[in-house]
Amino acid sequence: MTLSVSDPTWYPIASSEDLPFRHVYAGQLLGRELAVWRADDGNVNVWENRCLHRGVRLSIGINEGGELKCQYHGWRYANRSAGCTYIPAHPADAPARRIQNRTYPVREAYGLIWSAANDEQAFRPFPGAEGHDWFALRPMPVNAAPEDVLAALAGLAPDDQPADLLPGLAVRFGGTYYFVQPVDACRAVIRGLLAEPPAEPVATLRHYNETLTKLRDRLERAARKKPAPEPLQPAFDKVSADLATMPDIAIPKGNTITVVVKRKWTSADGVIGFELAARTGHLPTFQPGAHIDIHLPNGMTRQYSITNGPGELMSYIIGVKAESASKGGSKVLVETVREGDLLSISEPRNNFPLRRDATRTVLIAGGIGITPLLSMARFLDKSSLPYELHYFTRAGETVAFRADLEALHGKVTFHTGVPRDEIGATIASALGQWSMAQHVYVCGPGPMLETVRETAAAQGWPEEAIHFEYFKNDKVIDNSSAFDVELARSAMTLHVPSGKTIMEVMRDAGLTVPSSCEQGACGTCLTTVIEGDVDHQDVYLNNSEKASNRCMMTCVSRAKSARLVLDI
Amino acid sequence: MITLYDFELSGNCYKLRLLMSILKLRYDIVPVDFYPGRQHKADWFLRLNPFGQLPVLKDDDLVLSDSGAILAYLARKYDETGLWFPDDPAVTAEVLRWHAVADDITSTASAARLALGFFYDFDVPKAQAGAHRIFRLMDEHLWFGEREGRDWLCSPAHPTTADIACFPYVMLSEEGGIGRQDYPALRRWTDRVRRIPGFTVMSGIFPAGQALEIA
Repeated sequence: MTLSVSDPTWYPIASSEDLPFRHVYAGQLLGRELAVWRADDGNVNVWENRCLHRGVRLSIGINEGGELKCQYHGWRYANRSAGCTYIPAHPADAPARRIQNRTYPVREAYGLIWSAANDEQAFRPFPGAEGHDWFALRPMPVNAAPEDVLAALAGLAPDDQPADLLPGLAVRFGGTYYFVQPVDACRAVIRGLLAEPPAEPVATLRHYNETLTKLRDRLERAARKKPAPEPLQPAFDKVSADLATMPDIAIPKGNTITVVVKRKWTSADGVIGFELAARTGHLPTFQPGAHIDIHLPNGMTRQYSITNGPGELMSYIIGVKAESASKGGSKVLVETVREGDLLSISEPRNNFPLRRDATRTVLIAGGIGITPLLSMARFLDKSSLPYELHYFTRAGETVAFRADLEALHGKVTFHTGVPRDEIGATIASALGQWSMAQHVYVCGPGPMLETVRETAAAQGWPEEAIHFEYFKNDKVIDNSSAFDVELARSAMTLHVPSGKTIMEVMRDAGLTVPSSCEQGACGTCLTTVIEGDVDHQDVYLNNSEKASNRCMMTCVSRAKSARLVLDI
Repeated sequence: MITLYDFELSGNCYKLRLLMSILKLRYDIVPVDFYPGRQHKADWFLRLNPFGQLPVLKDDDLVLSDSGAILAYLARKYDETGLWFPDDPAVTAEVLRWHAVADDITSTASAARLALGFFYDFDVPKAQAGAHRIFRLMDEHLWFGEREGRDWLCSPAHPTTADIACFPYVMLSEEGGIGRQDYPALRRWTDRVRRIPGFTVMSGIFPAGQALEIA
């Protein structure tokens, strides 16, 4: 038998015991180096042992429990999907590139971790696997060809009990199974399994270890006398352009995912929690602060922040405020969607990215604005980065996700029913004076965001250090102006009358315009301005972005000048 | 006052910086240009240590050489807990046995690193093979240790100078072309060493992630 780099057979690549929490195991199969790690949820990841950034081995990375962090440059990859969640040199406010590390199939069974060079074959238990409490021997690496190792193992069988050769470089005799892991053309690991745990485990392990050591020494002496086989040369595909290129900011990809409402519960008075699970496997990687669009049964689309921590991809948990003033979106979710229902959601998008190089991070939440900040707190918590979370709720309102917040190790402060005139002072003391590499993130009702922005500015916080997400635009939109828009790329000039938005006029003219919240809060319709004076009415851009006159939201913003030239 | 005659890229010097960091000792450093300056063979250095080897440690008027000996000295003199070099004849023998293994690692793994990274004229394949032989033994010792409830090289339930003496040139072995893929228990032990409170880094030796706190 000749080894093939494309052999789809499942082989054991580690013992379960080789993978303690917060460790990264270095493995190899058919010439491919593997970084293998167990996340805190128990899931085992088998990845190509290279960071896609510069090819540094991921087996020297840090297993943070939900993400694997490359030590050299700080890139992070999520449990399960291997999707990149953080690129340090990336501008903090740029969208994440859709990068995923290469993964290999994995199964943990019978005390071993199994993997294969590709997905072509489903995992099948070895003959006789079921019904035993398997006990793994100490693995024995051997510098010899895997076929030679298999032959030598078969030779260990007593004369009256010939070895039974099994598919996948395995052999059985007595109650013992041996699997040969083909590391490379000239290297192998012997992995033994006993059908039941022995009465004296350590003595038994030592006994088998001694036998296998002698076998190894004999095999290696023989191998040294033969010409060494050429190492296998696996070829790696380039990262696809789709994964490696920068997506346009906040434009929905149009891909939707169907999820099941796995759980619906009351998290607090007026806040309903929803757990949305994938129908099979896991959901896409998301960044802390990211949201999904939910396509509601009544045709509306609404954004909800993902509250999950790093690498939690089996379901997304969101919080929905069931307020009577709702325009209908949240109301539909709260009143009509039940457990077991299917919903269509967008892929996660992030307009509220979290920096992970801050020396101090302050998170300030008001009411339902806790949702993106809970996710951020969980990411910072897992990475043991310093943060302070301040959660403001009105008197009478109850605290949503309280148990999740209390499980965090950072400094979490609940401010309940603080009188309106004291909120400013509370925020001022929570923020303190700014110094280098401090960042504040705030999400909540409009007036509270304004207070944080003003207070922070007054205490020396530069605009780049203040990050905010409005969940709605409370401003009264003045749509009384009338002006022309020239769409430079579409070679079209349109008249925008009072009472109609630029977006509506463009849609009337037959253009497809991405939008989401349609109230100047989400950033989906961000457009570059080439000429003209913009009348901003959104809450998405910060003051210097507004003053630059280089960009605008076409859903609410208008023109102060008679004409606007847009890069559309 | 402690003064360390130090070359930053030397694993043997790092052993002392590591223990002094763990013991929270204050010390001065006199940099010695081992490479390319070969100052460890200069007259002034040979008057300190006629063996012409780094590190040298001066504690007031006392001049000491040999990293293993200095580790024992520092632990005996400054470790109030008595854990790092325990005062028990059997354990002392164990620790010294592993100090000797540390010297074997230096003459193999470190020699390969000096040849590949510092242009020393050593037999690289021979040094690499020697390092693999030692790593196999260490992996087996540590693997069975895990089964028997022992996390460290010696029998006490805490690290000793033996772990510090063996650690640096295991961690730096890749620089000598010696992979550690075949030694999973050895790799897990290096995680444990890197989680010792007071652990400090050197070029090529980075910290481990936080252990999972079981609530």
